[in-house]
Amino acid sequence: MSDDLRGLNDLDRLIHEPARLLIVTILSTAASADFLFLQREAGLTRGNLSAHLSKLEEAGYVKIEKTFKGKLPLTVCKLTAKGQKAYVAYRQQMQSFMDKTG
Amino acid sequence: MKDETTQIEQRVKRYWYSDGIGEMIGGVMFFLLAVYFSLQQYLGDESFMGEMLQAGFVLLLIGGIFLARRLINFLKTRVTYPRTGYIEYRTNNRNLNLMRALTFVVAMIVAAVSLLVARKFDSLDAMVAVTGLLVAFIFAVKQGLTSGVGRFYFISALSLALGGILSVSGFARGYNLGLFYGLMGLVFVISGGLTLKSYLRENPLPTEAGNE
Repeated sequence: MSDDLRGLNDLDRLIHEPARLLIVTILSTAASADFLFLQREAGLTRGNLSAHLSKLEEAGYVKIEKTFKGKLPLTVCKLTAKGQKAYVAYRQQMQSFMDKTG
Repeated sequence: MKDETTQIEQRVKRYWYSDGIGEMIGGVMFFLLAVYFSLQQYLGDESFMGEMLQAGFVLLLIGGIFLARRLINFLKTRVTYPRTGYIEYRTNNRNLNLMRALTFVVAMIVAAVSLLVARKFDSLDAMVAVTGLLVAFIFAVKQGLTSGVGRFYFISALSLALGGILSVSGFARGYNLGLFYGLMGLVFVISGGLTLKSYLRENPLPTEAGNE
């Protein structure tokens, strides 16, 4: 295995999974988003999204809060500082890998 | 990777405009400005009411923006968030300040050029031309480029054309501005209304709660 490809081993696999990468990218753009928005944007089922969010929450990458907007109950998700750092590091690793492999 | 991230960022920003509510409320604000300028022209600068109107402009503007924000928030909470979800936007202070500075510089350049042109041609009403240019700039650069919403370029072109036409119309300045804001308000209300209609058709209210 070349050094270039070996760099992939260091990628954060929690973020590398496509659905979770999409969730984290959305949350890095917005300050926070609710469950329904993430479900629609990521094109996931409720069960699937719940499972991915639980994994991200367990890792401390995402904070989930139940709140109200007026009378509307919301499950709001935010990227934590740890999650933001992990996402930036992941992007840098991917960019460097793509630069090396052309 | 960078392109995909930019696409996702634009999609998230576009979401704010997907229901047309902001445009419709903006249109109503423009109608109020149309009434304000027409009334000011009708009453004249010398009358007591005319002076009161002039003095209260900033207060009316700030109050209007405050009420518009509350109304947008109220309508989005009832119409948009239950259908397609809630999102809170990140405010990047560095980018925001840069954008504000850029907007200010461009506005000053546009105003200076318009005044120079107006001095050259006496009949030209510079105020409405500058207003047309500013509205066009805000919609083409600030809204269109950052969110990628195509209809904003059309609104921008329309504002530029309307400002240009009215600047040589020969109407009194207040009526000219009133006409500009009235017609642009109509454009915003129609554009927002059509967007809202299509949004409601495409996104019926979920039968069960979308939030976990």
